[in-house]
Amino acid sequence: MTALAPAPAASASAIPVRRRSPQARRRRLVSASLLVVVAASTLVLMLPILIIVFTAFKPVAEVNAYPPTLLPGQWTLDNFTRIFTELPFARLIANSFVFAGGVTLFALVFDSLAAYALARLDFRGNKILLIAIIASLMIPFQATLIPIYQLVSDLGWVNSYAGLIAPRAADAFGIFFLRQFFLSLPRDLDNAARIDGASELRIFRSIVLPNAVPALLTLGIFTFVNNWNDLLWPLVFTTDSEMGTVTSGLTLLTGPGGIIPQGVMMAGSLIAVLPLAILFLLIQRRFVESVGTSGLK
Amino acid sequence: MTTHAPSAPPRRRGAYRPPAPIGGRGPLRHSPRHRLTVVAFLAPAIVILTVFVAWPMVSALRLSFTDASGFGREKFVGLENYTRVFTDPDIVSAMGNTALYAVLFTPIAIALALAFALLLNNPLLPLRGVFRTALFTPFIVSLAVAAFAWSYLLDPQIGLLNYWLRSLGIQLGNVLQDPTLAMPAVVLVAVWKSFGFYMVIFLAGLQDIPTSLYEAARVDGASAWQRFRSITFPMLGNTMGFVVIVALIAALQAFDQIYVMTGGGPYGTTQTIVMEIYQSGFRKLELGFASALSYVLLLITLVLSLTQFLFFSRREKDAA
Amino acid sequence: MMKRSLSVLATVGAAALLLAGCSGSSSPAADGPAEITFWHGYTEADGKVLDQIVADFNASQQKYKITTETKTWAVIDDTLLPALSSKEGPQIVAMPAERMPVYADRGAFTDLSDFYASSDSNTADLVPQAVDMVTVGGTPYGVPTGFVPLAMFYNKTLFASAGITEAPTTWDEWVADAKKLTVDENGDGTPEQYGVAIPDHATVANGLWPSLLLSGGGQIVDGDKAAIDSPENAKTIQYWTDAITKDKISPTGLDGIAADQLFSSGKAAMHVGGPWMASIAKDNNIDYGIAALPAGPAEQAASAIGVAMGVTESADDAQRAGAEAFFTYFFQKDVATKWSLASGWPPLRTDIPLSDVSSNPVVAALSEIAPTGRALLPGVVNSTDVISDIDELTQKSVAGGNVSELLSTAQSKIQQAIE
Repeated sequence: MTALAPAPAASASAIPVRRRSPQARRRRLVSASLLVVVAASTLVLMLPILIIVFTAFKPVAEVNAYPPTLLPGQWTLDNFTRIFTELPFARLIANSFVFAGGVTLFALVFDSLAAYALARLDFRGNKILLIAIIASLMIPFQATLIPIYQLVSDLGWVNSYAGLIAPRAADAFGIFFLRQFFLSLPRDLDNAARIDGASELRIFRSIVLPNAVPALLTLGIFTFVNNWNDLLWPLVFTTDSEMGTVTSGLTLLTGPGGIIPQGVMMAGSLIAVLPLAILFLLIQRRFVESVGTSGLK
Repeated sequence: MTTHAPSAPPRRRGAYRPPAPIGGRGPLRHSPRHRLTVVAFLAPAIVILTVFVAWPMVSALRLSFTDASGFGREKFVGLENYTRVFTDPDIVSAMGNTALYAVLFTPIAIALALAFALLLNNPLLPLRGVFRTALFTPFIVSLAVAAFAWSYLLDPQIGLLNYWLRSLGIQLGNVLQDPTLAMPAVVLVAVWKSFGFYMVIFLAGLQDIPTSLYEAARVDGASAWQRFRSITFPMLGNTMGFVVIVALIAALQAFDQIYVMTGGGPYGTTQTIVMEIYQSGFRKLELGFASALSYVLLLITLVLSLTQFLFFSRREKDAA
Repeated sequence: MMKRSLSVLATVGAAALLLAGCSGSSSPAADGPAEITFWHGYTEADGKVLDQIVADFNASQQKYKITTETKTWAVIDDTLLPALSSKEGPQIVAMPAERMPVYADRGAFTDLSDFYASSDSNTADLVPQAVDMVTVGGTPYGVPTGFVPLAMFYNKTLFASAGITEAPTTWDEWVADAKKLTVDENGDGTPEQYGVAIPDHATVANGLWPSLLLSGGGQIVDGDKAAIDSPENAKTIQYWTDAITKDKISPTGLDGIAADQLFSSGKAAMHVGGPWMASIAKDNNIDYGIAALPAGPAEQAASAIGVAMGVTESADDAQRAGAEAFFTYFFQKDVATKWSLASGWPPLRTDIPLSDVSSNPVVAALSEIAPTGRALLPGVVNSTDVISDIDELTQKSVAGGNVSELLSTAQSKIQQAIE
């Protein structure tokens, strides 16, 4: 039969094909052409990523060389060595994990609670609160950066994990996203539970949340990646170089003239991206399974 | 258990009304216990958002009526900043550029994301997991790094893309300094980086569409396009509405890759509103003006989002 | 009701704020040395020497203790505003000199007139143009830490293959040499090697075109009036636009960084750059020479790259006195010489003889051409907009625009910017 990826059960091929030749051939043809189209476009889209990966291993002379090459003629670890020797790298990675991880954990909890209230509970001002929350997404961070910084400074939290995480511990995007998702879940089960007298917390924990795993994973990845990659906030907030994150720390690696050499920058980006890629690879299998089964309720 | 599509709330907007069980439920809605529950669920997020989002927004609003620079001295100037937003030719031009950017980015990113979601949802495609991961990778790279990689690719002297295209006879020239190509280039980078995330959201939405609907349609002899138009597209209404708002907000706030790749150039053709906000606030130390410009952006975004939200809700009602 | 719950939450939030507000920023110790924080962007080996100079200062007296923090110049620019706005900022900060006027105008730096007036502040012999760069409306707000004119770096190997023995000294020689050095072997219209790398926007230290305009006898700003629309400037811009577009001695659309790269990759034989090009060229195995920018019809002027430091408004009296004491120490002859040799930039005191800095050949070469240096837009508060107006003028001109129209547009835009 045509090679299928570990696909969720709800697929069109659930109907066994009894007539083999014309149907099977057509399926194989469609499979092959899909593969070609998707593979080609994926390769094109991956080009910048490949550039990042390969340039990280190129010596300085090759980075600016003409004619340009994709692969390094001479593989070198110089860029990486520079990063590891000039920066307190272990500390930076740890800080990045604490920052991005802390924000993600708090945000997932607080956002899902609030989203549940907005999606499932009836109260005056539900709509207005939602609009206010969405509206807060529409002001760029550059405008509120100074007031937030002043606020956190007044609280005495400069250069601390608390100050770094607290402003992001709940976020409007997450609440909006989860609210939309909760709305799309059928209410039959939780209505039944409500009639039985279950508390909202109980319903939230045992009925709604388990069905929301794909959305939670998606939001978790989104929040973690965005905060891991965030530059402006950790940069402005941590004046102590020991408290910086990977992204803010990398800005210190300048060459003469104040410019970060391309090779070093790519190497730094690669190191910064690696934990994210690993995280996503680990989660994505779970994600696929959950997404696959969420349709069958 | 119901077998029809999960009910989408726009059809029953407003208060959630559970089917009245025996004995009625009316009074319970306003019970102190219910109120306490609502507060308990909302409290942590609301406290954080009030302190760290609402309060700074109020501060920024206050600043927008002053000529503050950020350190100390400030004077109330009334609506002067807001007038300047609409009369300064550089700002007006930035607004035009931002609109152009949004018009280019939003449909292209969404179309690309939807196309790949449909392709990746097709069970006949092998190695779906691999492709899904690969296509998501641009998202996990930071926008600044993506911008550097693309700048390097497009460098007129040492860029790989220029080099390969030149050997095919196509002269790209200096893309990022070409007034007609610079804007599409920065849009392209943003599309490249974001479509993976929107694709994942669409994938989740597609999974919620029961295959029984497709079976029925296929039995009725509907073509792929007809199936898409009458089943997929309407049923994605909720998801689509969400993605459009999110993509629009992101487009209207375009900054990172423009800062890295073109600096707003050539001669201001890629200057967006947030670039102006950043430069006013951090380079020219005009925090008051930057705040006013931010609020104008907020209002524009709000109006546009409400419009498209109403549009999508009405469409979904019609689709019912 | 919901509204009441919301307002309860808001009150709790506000109360937390008020309580937290009571814990203000830490005040300096009543006894013991006054603690001063100094931000600077010298991230290379020069930064280590600066830190050493600071340590020596700390060791030489008991009243003040300075702690340095190194960030890049760009990062300082992004983080200074938030820090100062919540009183968390440094007491001394160094920044590119053309950034100083806007900060000074907004009240971020303290007036140093008294310091300069004082006879034992060691400021009497400072390079005058360097002090110009930190003066706004007649008042000095900082002291220079570096001042060097843009220099011409040339590739000796490429010169030799083209049979050129000396660096050009006039514009006509410059263009002639550049034409000889532009090589298009396969005749496809795109030279493999260019005579010179001339950026048309975001030039090195935003100084290339100002240098050319000055050498041609023109100006950008005259007092509080825009002066860019002048016959001298029209001639200068036309001259160089023709050289780039007709004689093709340089690619178009370059910015300063791309020009740096073009030279360091050996694709351009000449380049107008800053002192760091010396180490970049060395790293790329280029046999380079340093010369002054060739003279134009009116004079031989080169826009200068300047770095300066000042005392911020978050410094109290004791910290301010400490900062001024440090400046005095910094400008002692021996310290100034040491700093010049370590930073690779010419000495800041005019009374330091060339022989004292001969041990660093780059410094010696740059010090020789130091008299060509001119401050860039001294005292202009809105240099951000003026620079982008100049960029627009030059970039559009090289792209084929009408020079006189572009000049009059630039004139009105710059006039608006400096108002």
